[in-house]
Amino acid sequence: MYLAYLDPGTGSALAAAVVAGFAGAMVTVKVWWRRIWDKVRRRPAETPAASDQEN
Amino acid sequence: MSVAQTGGDAPGTPEVEVGKLAELVPEPASFRDPDNQVGYDAHGQVLRVLRGAAVEDWRALAGATFFADLVADGRICRTEPVDPDPDAAGELTLRHERIPFISYPYEWTFAMLRDAALLHLDLLLAALPEGFTTKDGSAYNLQWRGAAPTFIDIGSFTRQREGEPWAGYRQFCQTMLYPLLLTAHLDVPFQPWLRAQVDGIESGQIRPLFRGRHRWRAGVLRHLHLHDAMQRRYASTSVGEVKEQMKAAGYSTELVIATVRGLRKLVRKLDWRPPKTHWAEYRQTCSYSERDREAKLAFVEAALGQAAAGGGELGLVLDLGANDGAFSRLAARQARQVVAVEGDHAVTDALYRSLREAPDGPDRRVLPLVMDLANPSPGNGWRGVERASFARRADADVVLALALVHHLAIGRNVPLPEVIDNLAELGRWLVVEFVEPEDPMARRLLANKPPGMFGDYRREVFEKLLAERFTIVRREELPSQTRTLYVGAPRG
Repeated sequence: MYLAYLDPGTGSALAAAVVAGFAGAMVTVKVWWRRIWDKVRRRPAETPAASDQEN
Repeated sequence: MSVAQTGGDAPGTPEVEVGKLAELVPEPASFRDPDNQVGYDAHGQVLRVLRGAAVEDWRALAGATFFADLVADGRICRTEPVDPDPDAAGELTLRHERIPFISYPYEWTFAMLRDAALLHLDLLLAALPEGFTTKDGSAYNLQWRGAAPTFIDIGSFTRQREGEPWAGYRQFCQTMLYPLLLTAHLDVPFQPWLRAQVDGIESGQIRPLFRGRHRWRAGVLRHLHLHDAMQRRYASTSVGEVKEQMKAAGYSTELVIATVRGLRKLVRKLDWRPPKTHWAEYRQTCSYSERDREAKLAFVEAALGQAAAGGGELGLVLDLGANDGAFSRLAARQARQVVAVEGDHAVTDALYRSLREAPDGPDRRVLPLVMDLANPSPGNGWRGVERASFARRADADVVLALALVHHLAIGRNVPLPEVIDNLAELGRWLVVEFVEPEDPMARRLLANKPPGMFGDYRREVFEKLLAERFTIVRREELPSQTRTLYVGAPRG
């Protein structure tokens, strides 16, 4: 039942933007870029905190 | 006023006031939105009880120009507030027009689902510039007045928030676009898929069917492959988080309109026509003489007049095994609504296409549905009642069963008493045709069965069974002498 915890609506929201044409696709590209950038920036600072929480 | 509750087990649960909703018979499909629930009162009126934000949404909607225009031309069902203001508990009750016969997308033909999808998109294109959208995109939000679709879920309209994508996109794909792609591009009937899954077809389920050259067919790459890939990629990401990021990246209502326009262009392009060989085969199955046909039309017309004479205008006539709809059109001259049920998708689709082009008049009161009468729609969805079975929805004044009984009794091995019981359950009056075993069409069916298997399939047996359930008020043998028509009136 792990699939019940996954929400396909998030991908659908982004897909709805992509199908809006070039401007919509650009929005999706910006979101992707933003998410990658956030991960890169967050990683060094967050790793110890995440380990603490797991313990 | 709130939803009626009969006390709570949890300590400190406050007493909840019993309100109007408690007096209604709830619509089994209306349970997902607690602020927006539909039920039926003792007079059979369709009422919708709104509370909370739904009341504000309705007030804004009632003042919108697009809404008034679409209600006026029938594309949205007629709706009015029972009282102008909410009651002391803040609830507002709306009254809807009653749809003559509720049907479901798995009973519609390709062209019907396509027209329903176009109507949904047209509503959105009218609503978005005025700051409204729909919360969902379900095919079940559409119903039919004869051969014309209408949008029934007023509660689906809400204010469009700037920067948010259309929340109904996925549901639209699952219940309308994917079924259309399946039939238009692959010639695979969508009805069994929709009947099996009330939430529609998931992208992952049909993606493997659209590999190779089919990947490049209209709408497939974007709305199916890309959509499915993105659903998988972001399945564990919060939708709220992504929406905020989209807003920050410049997503706007103009882009929502562009999405809907693109979908509309795609749906208009999709079409399905059966192979020509289908029509050649079909003509061989409905060949009877012109004299028989004329006699049959005259008999059915007189029978309907006889049924109407008992109780005034006929409400619902069911034409079971409707073929090209000739008898449905005839019945529509005397009835408010005719439902033409036919098992052949291509024939039903052709009937729908011809009815939708008909000028205003009786023909527009015919609703064609595609269904195998030996396997009619069951109860579906939550607790098996969210989508009612065909038998539960069928409460006809007159049932027409012309050239049908031999298909069920011989073709599908249904015992004759069961066939007549079933017809009696669906309506009050019955106009039925018995085809003798010697008839060329019955002989064709019998040729595929072991000899002697249908010893009871005889006119005397049929008449006896019919007389046990109806009063036979009319009987006529057709000129071919292998077919007899009967009118059964309700007993007592």
